[in-house]
Amino acid sequence: MRAGRPEASLPMAALVITVIAFVFVPTYTDSALTSFDVYNTFQILARLGLLTLALGLTMIAGEFDLSVVGTYAVGGMLTVQAGQQHWAWGLLAALGAGAAIGLLQGGLIARLKIPSMPVTLATYIALLGLTSAMSGGLTKTYSNATVTLWVDQSILTYFSPRSLITLGLFVVAAAVLSLSRWGRELRAIGGDRRAARVAGVRVDRLIVGTFVASGVLSALGGSLLSFSLGSANPDPGVQPLIVATAAALLGGVSLAGGRGHPLGLLAGILAVALLAEIVAVAAVPQYVSQLFFAGLLGIIVVIDAPDLHSALVRLRTRLRSSPHPRTSIQESADV
Amino acid sequence: MNVMSARPRSAAPIRRPGLVVDGVLLLAVLAAIVLALTTDRFLTVANAKAILTSASLVGIAALGLTLITIGGSAVSLAISPSVAAVGMIFLSAQSLGLIPALVLAVACGTLITGLQGAVVGYAGANPVILTIAASFAITGIATGVSGGSTVSPTASGYDHLNATPGGVALSVYVLIALALIVEWTLRRTGFGRSLYLIGENRRAARAAGLPVGRTTAVAWVGAGALFAVTAAFTAAFNTSANVNLGGTLTFDAIAAVLAGGTAIAGGRGSALRTLAGAVLIAAASDILLLRGYSTGVQIMVKGVIVLVVVVTVHLRTRGSRA
Repeated sequence: MRAGRPEASLPMAALVITVIAFVFVPTYTDSALTSFDVYNTFQILARLGLLTLALGLTMIAGEFDLSVVGTYAVGGMLTVQAGQQHWAWGLLAALGAGAAIGLLQGGLIARLKIPSMPVTLATYIALLGLTSAMSGGLTKTYSNATVTLWVDQSILTYFSPRSLITLGLFVVAAAVLSLSRWGRELRAIGGDRRAARVAGVRVDRLIVGTFVASGVLSALGGSLLSFSLGSANPDPGVQPLIVATAAALLGGVSLAGGRGHPLGLLAGILAVALLAEIVAVAAVPQYVSQLFFAGLLGIIVVIDAPDLHSALVRLRTRLRSSPHPRTSIQESADV
Repeated sequence: MNVMSARPRSAAPIRRPGLVVDGVLLLAVLAAIVLALTTDRFLTVANAKAILTSASLVGIAALGLTLITIGGSAVSLAISPSVAAVGMIFLSAQSLGLIPALVLAVACGTLITGLQGAVVGYAGANPVILTIAASFAITGIATGVSGGSTVSPTASGYDHLNATPGGVALSVYVLIALALIVEWTLRRTGFGRSLYLIGENRRAARAAGLPVGRTTAVAWVGAGALFAVTAAFTAAFNTSANVNLGGTLTFDAIAAVLAGGTAIAGGRGSALRTLAGAVLIAAASDILLLRGYSTGVQIMVKGVIVLVVVVTVHLRTRGSRA
């Protein structure tokens, strides 16, 4: 394990820093903090949390599911179009579609051992097309106002059913991965797939399961968003993907796979949600917050870059052993 | 025990899908040809020109992406914002004259994409995440500088890019010329050969003493120049440019590269394959358009084509290695 990037301290640090920044908002803006700001932070978390969890789980397994935003869009659209009679049909259709998409992708990736990037990219394109074809490229409105009011009503001042469902799923994921051997196995196939296979991990099944979980979670995220907005947008754009990726990386997941935990992911998305709320309260123009997230993601990806690390290590050893590098090697060899 | 039982099971299906895949592919190609021939107005000169024209803008950007992909940097997800930003620069520099504006556009394009390439090449940063970040940054900066408004051309020199010598759009000639140049560079120069080796096996390339960082950065610089050419043509065609100028170009270019059969893992592929991929997707979209399908269906079919080609290429290359 490399020093300097422990999977637990990065999410904790990110969370602590953003909480402090959030608490001190009144000191650097004109507006005071209200309980609504906390509620709103959890609403942002509800909007992107499940996407982060979906993406994060596949990243722990050493894969990268670009299609999450496509599934998110399809889930939202199915919720609206199949759920006009009763919300449950829409939800069921969305979850079923998410599971089917995950099964197809996981099956292809695990059975044929194809890299996940091109497969999920192709699915992403196809799913955006499907959503657009389903809606004729238009935003579809959801007429069931009762559900819309229900998912966003405030509970205990700070929460809504939507944010509680999202938080609950993080807790469930954390419990499942901590208490069963799946957590260890997931990290094992992300870290060293061949070794995991030799050690008796059913790699294929686990990959398919991870992609199904990813599909269901993304579709549910889309469903909840559609319920909340009372409409479904055929093209969510790339912003949800960017923010979810940033949150997952802040949450202690590594691009190389094999590291991360749902609680870390929760801390990551909570930090991002707090940042987004701070940006909203401070009334910063949108492009500034965009630049901010770009900078954040850029810094993380450069820190995570393998060659940079080895170059720094090389530089450090050269500096440390600069006086007599030859003799020191000689001595240690003699001993 | 597990190892023993897992081996034959995973090894056996490798060879057989090769044949099955060939069969399925042949049927798919035949079906597509029949579909094309039975589509009204498909086999006309005007339609062929329309396909080539719509393939040309995506194709030029896809040629740039081909350099990135062959070099083992997977894909850039920042093509659309780069094209939008460069397009805005190109139109606002029209008062300098067409050629200086073009030079400025290409310079800015190489700078934007080359910087990302330097980070990918020298530091080994993950290109997908880095370009996601870059796309955010470019859009943010472009919005900030332009104030979110649309840029209109300051002179009409750009209109020369919309010329149609011999009845075919200028961008088609440029696409073919650039495809030949890129192909020649990849096949005949030392840079091209190192790029293939780096894409195939970065560690081996480094051990062999190849300048991995520099070659990767140069490939991205070339890609940036090609994105800039696409940007100039797109901006000239639209006669105005804003941050949405790039549209779905990122995914269209990736689709063209992958549909051409270039492996995303790097080390394989060619400019001519990308050219074929761009024309294939343009032709498929054209058939669907002529048959009255919506934009959504066209995008969906594009995704399915990419998926099928990715799976096919993967199975075939694995079959030939076994």
